[in-house]
Amino acid sequence: MPSDDLTGFPFSAVYGMEDAKRAVQCAMVNPRIRTVLIRGGPGSAKTALSRAAGNLTGRSVVNVPLNVTEEQLFGGMDIDATIREGRAVVQRGLLSRADGRILYVDDVNLLDQRVLASLLDCVLTGRVVLEREGVSAEYPCDTTLIATMNPSDSDISPHLLDRFDLCAYSSFPDDGDGRAEVLRRNVEHQRDPRGFNEMYAPEEEAVRSCMVRAEGLLPLVTMSDDLMAVAVELTARVAADGFRGDIAMVNTAMTLAALNGRDEVTRKDVEEAAMICLAHRRNYMPEPPPPEPPEPPEPPEEEEQDDDDREEPPEPPEDDRDDDREDDPPEEDDGDDRQQPPEPPDMQDLQQMLDEMMFEIGEQFRVIDYLDDGGRVIRRTSSRKGRRAMVESDDATGRYARSRQSDDRVRDLAFDATIRAAAPYQRTREHDGLSISIKKQDLREKVRERRSGCTILFVVDASGSLGVRKRMSAVKGAVLSMLRDSYVKRDRIGLMAFRRDSAELILPPTRSVEYSYRKLEELPTGGKTPLGEALVTVNEFMTSYSRTHQGEMCYIVLITDGRANVPLREGADANEEVRKLAADLAIPQVRWIVIDASSGYIRFDNAERLAQELEGTYFRLEDLNADRLAESVRAVIR
Amino acid sequence: MQKLLFPFVSIVGQEDMKRALLLNIVDPGIGGVLIKGEKGTAKSTTVRSLHRILPPRVSVEGCPFNCDPSRPDRLCPYCADRLSSGGDLEGTEADMRVVELPLSATEDRVAGTLDIEHVLKTGEKKFEPGVLAQANGNLLYVDEVNLLDDHIVDLLLDSAAMGVNYIEREGVSFSHPSRFILIGTMNPEEGELRPQLLDRFGLSVDVKGDRDMEQRMEVVRRRLAFDTDPEAYTAGCAAESDAVRDRIVSARELLPRVVADDAVLRAVVTVTTSFGIDGHRADITMMKAAKANAALEGRGRVTKDDIRVVAALVMSHRMRRRPFEEESFDYEELERCLQTI
Repeated sequence: MPSDDLTGFPFSAVYGMEDAKRAVQCAMVNPRIRTVLIRGGPGSAKTALSRAAGNLTGRSVVNVPLNVTEEQLFGGMDIDATIREGRAVVQRGLLSRADGRILYVDDVNLLDQRVLASLLDCVLTGRVVLEREGVSAEYPCDTTLIATMNPSDSDISPHLLDRFDLCAYSSFPDDGDGRAEVLRRNVEHQRDPRGFNEMYAPEEEAVRSCMVRAEGLLPLVTMSDDLMAVAVELTARVAADGFRGDIAMVNTAMTLAALNGRDEVTRKDVEEAAMICLAHRRNYMPEPPPPEPPEPPEPPEEEEQDDDDREEPPEPPEDDRDDDREDDPPEEDDGDDRQQPPEPPDMQDLQQMLDEMMFEIGEQFRVIDYLDDGGRVIRRTSSRKGRRAMVESDDATGRYARSRQSDDRVRDLAFDATIRAAAPYQRTREHDGLSISIKKQDLREKVRERRSGCTILFVVDASGSLGVRKRMSAVKGAVLSMLRDSYVKRDRIGLMAFRRDSAELILPPTRSVEYSYRKLEELPTGGKTPLGEALVTVNEFMTSYSRTHQGEMCYIVLITDGRANVPLREGADANEEVRKLAADLAIPQVRWIVIDASSGYIRFDNAERLAQELEGTYFRLEDLNADRLAESVRAVIR
Repeated sequence: MQKLLFPFVSIVGQEDMKRALLLNIVDPGIGGVLIKGEKGTAKSTTVRSLHRILPPRVSVEGCPFNCDPSRPDRLCPYCADRLSSGGDLEGTEADMRVVELPLSATEDRVAGTLDIEHVLKTGEKKFEPGVLAQANGNLLYVDEVNLLDDHIVDLLLDSAAMGVNYIEREGVSFSHPSRFILIGTMNPEEGELRPQLLDRFGLSVDVKGDRDMEQRMEVVRRRLAFDTDPEAYTAGCAAESDAVRDRIVSARELLPRVVADDAVLRAVVTVTTSFGIDGHRADITMMKAAKANAALEGRGRVTKDDIRVVAALVMSHRMRRRPFEEESFDYEELERCLQTI
């Protein structure tokens, strides 16, 4: 629906979304709450709510488009004024317009990460420091940031996520009545916006006066030490890093008390605060470790503090249960066990034993250059050849890093630098009625830089079939060897594992190889092989990832024996499904590498066939070992 | 108007980080601090809070490069001209500052560039100072230093290594002193730092969030109190802040007179050798840091305790480690080593 129709949508007419509404109200009332993130699927009224918040408080909303340049956002040189006035004139950015208003970013996860980091810093410190393109300035930016994102897209990195004071999940009402009500209100609003607003005027006024009262009340609100302890305890229980969670909890609880017309925080305020303060700060918790693994595999020697917290079997007390429900992002870890097909009783113990087993990282070696396809790519048809070809970086993408004098034809003109180059000669040149005269020797072109390195997503089959033969150790060894290789080359590394009936992104792509190492070490093995599910998850993640990382080459290294046994649809042939899926996948900028992890005398060709369908490169695990490969070649020569 | 910042003296815990910063202010020759740590652990807050306790320094009046009149060997071309033509360099006293390098900074503003105004008005080329000029004699703070563009990092490295910023671009050819205390903060989850830059930092600190409930609550209480009434809160900390500042000022005065005898020298070398650290930079830095620590403690003589305090700060980022090994400092080993001396 076009946003114009929603501009006048009253806050109180937004159906449901209690958490999101609460979060927005808190941010409007308490100036110490500056950043709010609303996560919800398309059509869950995220945008409507943000605009309604503006209407409610009389603060206009400044929208940040996703394709905003750093110059537009933070500011730069005003070339017109500079030429006119003969001195460097600063053009303030979008952020200066946001001063005293609401700053709104839709699909914030698609914003360039570095831009987002700077943006958040400006909003949180309330000022913009500008050192760009020949100008230096500082200006205030006292604003509230409301950002939205679609949770099925790739996530924001945890450390940027932490800078959002509050984060609320909004969901489209799934019951028929709710949907009907949303539709009814929308239709009514579109038919007669004025009348609709009048109808909601009393409610809107009630919300408004409640917020005004809260603003006055806020300085008087007190919070007992006991409740403060509860707030801190809750933050610790979700293993949130740092102190931002604690501070947000207390601020929010106090604001909620004020919104409820009280000058004292109650336990309910703290609980409500937890729902919007802690969900996004929760550290990834692997499934709780098995009560007593029969053969305790070698635990990592150094017990990291984080790990301690995480491994503590979370014992949710009664007051915490609500949180847990709310905290869970769409992917439910807990549901897995229940959905698993029942096994014979005695088998169950065995399965339990095999499940969750953590294998040591096996032998490591020097890897061959597995990213180079070297003609090994098996193409099915030539007509699809271009589909996964390298995205040729076109010159207008990337960040404008600097300018240079071009020797030939200027394609990407650096206007500012050109003016600067021409400026000194303006007094002496013929102007021909132009205010500024530019000659060929003044022309400067932009030198753009793109991120160096590439992204490699390792998708590891952690199912039981690999566990039985301790094959997992070898797989981990191979992955680690490849990680080492990437460490040297400064690639971005992600890790996804699939087993039982789900695929899980364990580590979103990061440059920190150490983190991937730790995650790899902790990776448990066991269960069935949901290869189809894995392909679907990879597709979703990488499609949006490649959209936000334009021009970056991405590789997906799939390590599996290729034998799927969990169909996506009940009763379907899992392997047939995988083949179909693989043939249909078309993720831009992505190349596949399939590493066959199967072992034993009887080799199945599933993995190889999968590589064909994906038009990827195929390797056997053993072939990755550069030294061994060399040995075998040497043997042949001899 | 300068916005009030959370006071340094009110930051709970994080003793290593505070110590590393103070040591550098006492002796800028130590070479800066890299602060690594998980999100939300008051890294930026602490660095920004320093402005209240920074000591005064003397610089040439009106000089855009903050030249130090007592160091005729480190003058910008303008001051050097003035001096050689028989002029006087008038000194003026001002507090050291925390100069921030925003992530979005462009190369020309960091290094300095053509002064457009001057060019447009007169048609003459003139150099316009950038962040590296402001940073001279001050602290240069880079938040998210690991996200900084490579070519900006190169600029920083060059200046940090030479103490001079050389500019050769857009037809401008210029150089000026640029000696600063480089402070970087980063979240290692976002990626590691280039080894060249890592090595450039004199000290490094790993900060962790406090897990102790009481401490966490204290953090929240103080933050809340500050946010509620920044003016009153800052005023309440004034005496304590002044005390820290005085302590720095006297430490800076004491520093040149701090003695480190041969035994200390040998102790430093023993420690670095037993930790398998190559190169002399670690030895020199540890010596400087130990002296600064003694001065900060008001002692005129370096002792084993000083080495104990600074050893981890100096060595933890210099230890040779293979990729994927947990970075952790072995305090027991240090203790064993110190016992033998």
